[in-house]
Amino acid sequence: MDGPTSDLCRELEARGVSRREFLGFCSAMAVMIGLPKSAAAAIADALENKPKPTLVWLEFQDCAGNTESFLRSSKPSAAEVVLDLLSIDYHETIMAAAGHRAEEALESVVKNKQGQYIAVVEGSIPTGANGAYCTIGGKSALQIANEVCSNAAAVIAVGTCATFGGLPAASPNPTGALGVADAVPGIKTQINLSACPVNAENLTATVVYFLTYGRWPATDALNRPLFAYGKSIHDNCERRAHYDSGQYVEQWGDEAHRQGHCLYKMGCKGPVSFQNCPNVGWNDNTSWPIACGHGCIGCAEPDFWDKMTPFYAHLPGFPGFGKASNIDKVGFWGTVGVAAAFGTHTLIHLGKKLVGSGGEDKPADPTKGSEGGDA
Amino acid sequence: MTPPTTTAGGARPEVSYRAKDETGGLERVYVWDAVVRLTHWIIMLAILIQAVTGIYIGRPFFIPAGAEDQQFVMGTMKVVHSYTAIVFTLAVLVRVGWMFVGSYYARWHQFVPASARRRRDVWSMLKFYTFLSREPPLNVGHNPLAGLTYLLVFALYFTMIVTGLALYSVGAGVSYMKMWDFLLPILGGAQTARWIHHIAMWLLLGFFAHHIWSAILVSRSEGHGLIDSMFSGYKFLPRSWRKRDE
Ligand code: HEM
Ligand code: HEM
Ligand code: SF4
Ligand code: SF4
Repeated sequence: MDGPTSDLCRELEARGVSRREFLGFCSAMAVMIGLPKSAAAAIADALENKPKPTLVWLEFQDCAGNTESFLRSSKPSAAEVVLDLLSIDYHETIMAAAGHRAEEALESVVKNKQGQYIAVVEGSIPTGANGAYCTIGGKSALQIANEVCSNAAAVIAVGTCATFGGLPAASPNPTGALGVADAVPGIKTQINLSACPVNAENLTATVVYFLTYGRWPATDALNRPLFAYGKSIHDNCERRAHYDSGQYVEQWGDEAHRQGHCLYKMGCKGPVSFQNCPNVGWNDNTSWPIACGHGCIGCAEPDFWDKMTPFYAHLPGFPGFGKASNIDKVGFWGTVGVAAAFGTHTLIHLGKKLVGSGGEDKPADPTKGSEGGDA
Repeated sequence: MTPPTTTAGGARPEVSYRAKDETGGLERVYVWDAVVRLTHWIIMLAILIQAVTGIYIGRPFFIPAGAEDQQFVMGTMKVVHSYTAIVFTLAVLVRVGWMFVGSYYARWHQFVPASARRRRDVWSMLKFYTFLSREPPLNVGHNPLAGLTYLLVFALYFTMIVTGLALYSVGAGVSYMKMWDFLLPILGGAQTARWIHHIAMWLLLGFFAHHIWSAILVSRSEGHGLIDSMFSGYKFLPRSWRKRDE
């Protein structure tokens, strides 16, 4: 698949995207990455004039949701044009070639552009049964990931499956699924764009940042770009005022729900999840989950399927009492139990002291066994 | 140490060993210095405030009516929780530091059963609690079993502090408190930190229930003014015990 001409202006024109729109896109990207609007000029310049890197897109144990997210565009936008400018040499879902021809394309990139291409990975990598759970062209996902990722200039894991294992890795993880960084140790540059699916805006902005500056954006401890994952959902949420004031939805469809109050008591995981959904939204900023009246389920966090469940409860249960148990109930009755046990215990002690003071049951000499103390 | 010269049992059996030890008379012994007492009560008050605000934070049971900009219920709870957390954390740090520089009965060896005798007394105390013996072992400071339990309590304090700081870092913005966000991956993410924080609170409250009862129990059966001692610093002990712990 040949990349389109590098003449961005011509391409934009051909697709009916005005230059004004293109510059608007550049400043939107600048703002999103956390740069002043003035950086838009640098971005526009880079997109117009710098050579575009080769990119391969690998799909493993996935639902193609990230591809969907990436491709979906309601109108031909500047973003689309920019991403088309990347020379995407391999992408199972969208490439024209099939079968061996397709695999050859991938091999030739790995061989001829070693250390120069970007590998985007979607889906987790199964390690159980020698990798038999996912094979492409006779090779296991693990083999392919090893070859392609360790020779790439950088690896971008998109979606929670590729970053942290995601759904396939949820307990009991029958296929031994791992995220890319865990399956292929020693990758030099790894960018994680978690979320289920990845937000196309964040992928675009990451790529634009790289094209402009020739390096990758600053990341958090989980290798996620700070511009997208630096703040919790909760801290940017439009329902935050209701949270702070103590106004919560208590049942789906109750008055508070219709009024758009905070979804905290419905198990919203916004306070413990990091992403920029409230700011950039989804589907061209049409909406986002909490705006639709549903709590955040923490889709961008490691092991969210295990840790953030039950999705409609504030916390998982008390250890040993099942996942759906209520910590506060167990804790409260446990505390009452301790108090009752000790209360009874005290009564028995005092009772025995009164009753059993006959004499045959002589108390031990308290000083015995305590002599020669060496404290 | 010379054992007290008394006759065993018999005369006043219901308070048997108190009676025989007391023939030498009781004396006022200063065991808990001011720092021990102050931190104990500050920590206790802080925990109660933290628990009330924390339970609300976890399960906001009160929902005010009216426009949201007229209310600040959750916000207030969190502010109180955070300021109390500062007091709590500092008091715990002071108490732990005091374990190394404080007075004799404030020190770490009251908690860690490092000596053979204190290890033996852990068992004697367990026997007392399980009705196998009538007499709690003699100790001027903490009895060694209690000391051991307090180690666990201090571990819970640190669990609260570490998970609390991690949770705080989530919303810390550009404040220096953001530095604690390195704790989040270590704790398994913010949701798990919150879960640990919540469970540890119930363990502390469970301890609280046990602690009050055993304080009453031991106070009654020893009759040395244990509970009063946490206020005044003084216990009333048989004269012959004086040097027992040293
Ligand atoms: C013994 C002391 C403490 C108790 C009993 C306590 C209890 C609680 C409880 C029950 C919650 C609600 C957790 C949930 O279900 O979401 C909470 C939240 C919180 N605690 Fe504590 N806590 C204590 C100490 C601390 C300390 C020392 C800090 C230090 C900074 C702290 C910081 C926090 C923060 C930031 C939250 C907010 C969580 C959120 O916004 O969701 N706590 N606490
Ligand atoms: C949240 C509540 C409480 C906690 C976490 C707590 C914790 C502790 C700790 C850690 C110690 C060891 C003291 C030290 O050397 O620093 C201690 C000792 C003591 N506490 Fe508390 N305490 C609480 C409430 C109370 C209350 C309400 C009472 C009174 C009824 C009390 C009575 C005592 C006494 C008498 C001692 C000394 C006992 C001994 O040597 O075993 N405590 N407590
Ligand atoms: S809806 Fe969720 S993210 Fe929004 S304020 Fe409430 S708890 Fe926070
Ligand atoms: S709101 Fe939460 S669950 Fe929904 S997409 Fe954003 S991070 Fe994922």
